[in-house]
Amino acid sequence: MDFSQQFPIVFASLNTGFLQTLRLFAITLIGAIPLGLLLAVAEMSSFRPLRMLIKTIVWIIRGSPLMIQLLIIFYFPGLVLKNPIWGSGETGRFAAASVAFVINYACYFCEIFRGGIQGIPVGQEEAGLVLGMKPAQIFFRVKLLQVVKAIIPPMSNEIITLIKDTSLARIIALQEIIWAGQSFLKGSGGISGAIWPLFFTGIYYLAATGILTIVFAKLEKKLSYFR
Amino acid sequence: MKKIVALLLCLVLAAASALALADDKADVIAKGKLIVGITDFEPMDYRDTDGSWVGFDADLARKFGEYLGVEVEFQEIDWDNKVLELDSLTIDCVWNGMTLTDEVLSAMECSKPYMNNAQVVVMFADKIGGYSTVESLSGLVFAVEAGSAGEKVATELGLEVNAVQNQASALMEVAAGTSDAAIIDALMAAAMVGEGTGYENLTYALPLNDEQYGVGFRKGSNLVDELNAFLDACTADGSLLELAKLYSVQGALIGE
Repeated sequence: MDFSQQFPIVFASLNTGFLQTLRLFAITLIGAIPLGLLLAVAEMSSFRPLRMLIKTIVWIIRGSPLMIQLLIIFYFPGLVLKNPIWGSGETGRFAAASVAFVINYACYFCEIFRGGIQGIPVGQEEAGLVLGMKPAQIFFRVKLLQVVKAIIPPMSNEIITLIKDTSLARIIALQEIIWAGQSFLKGSGGISGAIWPLFFTGIYYLAATGILTIVFAKLEKKLSYFR
Repeated sequence: MKKIVALLLCLVLAAASALALADDKADVIAKGKLIVGITDFEPMDYRDTDGSWVGFDADLARKFGEYLGVEVEFQEIDWDNKVLELDSLTIDCVWNGMTLTDEVLSAMECSKPYMNNAQVVVMFADKIGGYSTVESLSGLVFAVEAGSAGEKVATELGLEVNAVQNQASALMEVAAGTSDAAIIDALMAAAMVGEGTGYENLTYALPLNDEQYGVGFRKGSNLVDELNAFLDACTADGSLLELAKLYSVQGALIGE
């Protein structure tokens, strides 16, 4: 089979794989941003045990490889509790991967959010209070937009890393794009021993990160009306 | 603190009660499906052009499902994690041209062997002429799949190895020139190198050992007896041979 015959088969398979990659990417963002915010608020709480608890969780999650977390989350329920909660098939693997990614990224986002919120000069809060504003009003009307502006560069870093990190989910046999590309090495869809599909997956990642880079640049420009 | 201790105790109790040894056959029949762990591995399990799983092992597994009266679900796994997948109940058996090595036999409940295999050397066709004996291979670097039968043979022969993720990567190493040769399963080599394949300028020779394929279940599983009886029946009525001919592997079938 020559390249022109191989291409449509490989292209279809890589598209299916990349759709799975994008799904995992989207679910992670949807889950990890609110969870990260919640963790950030909890980490700034005046209740010391809660602060210590969150700091410990963040340390454990940020301090261990995501690959290990994926293996533990997917295999632990069946292996130790004899209750494979994730079920069979691709959906179960996707659910387990989503949980692992949401928890992992929420911990990184938590620290970025905390940095953004704590980076605002305390004088603004004091001025708001003097003017008779309530703490919630100060947060939403004065601080929030400044926080958003401050966290865009570190967030764009994490989000670009995230799209490439999704490939780690292949360790629990989630069939994302790298898995799809690799399958042609062994033989799949009548093609065997094709090396180029694996390298071709790089184009997909470049396209995705290119779009993200443009979006973040636009966003930063939009927020540049105050300094 | 008391609450935390109580909660932990509950968890331990729940885990312990769930640990009672299960009747594998009854479990599979109760859930109505047998989950078969496979990798994309021509000619045993591979995707047809329409995306469905075919191959000698895939077809045989479907027949075994019919025999048990359950559906068969194929689950692609990472080969390194096959025991982990079995023990965590995410698959019910490994049925994928699995060589019955000592490691496999000690970690799984294995069926009787149903097919012969050998580990062979894969090299560029224009270079292999210079290596006609096992002794002549010393000095070369061999790509092998980590944890595979090929790695074991190479180590026993005292050859220099370069362990990679799977047999397909081992072939890529040879094609890319990053290893001198690879040691992989004869059945896979027959399907994947030489004329009409993606590796036209590679070829294979020099069988290094004799080995056999079997199916692996969870340690202690009673499904093994069912499978052995099923294999006997398929040998007796000739359907195993018929299936082997369909995928041109009849020469490797045990007892033929």
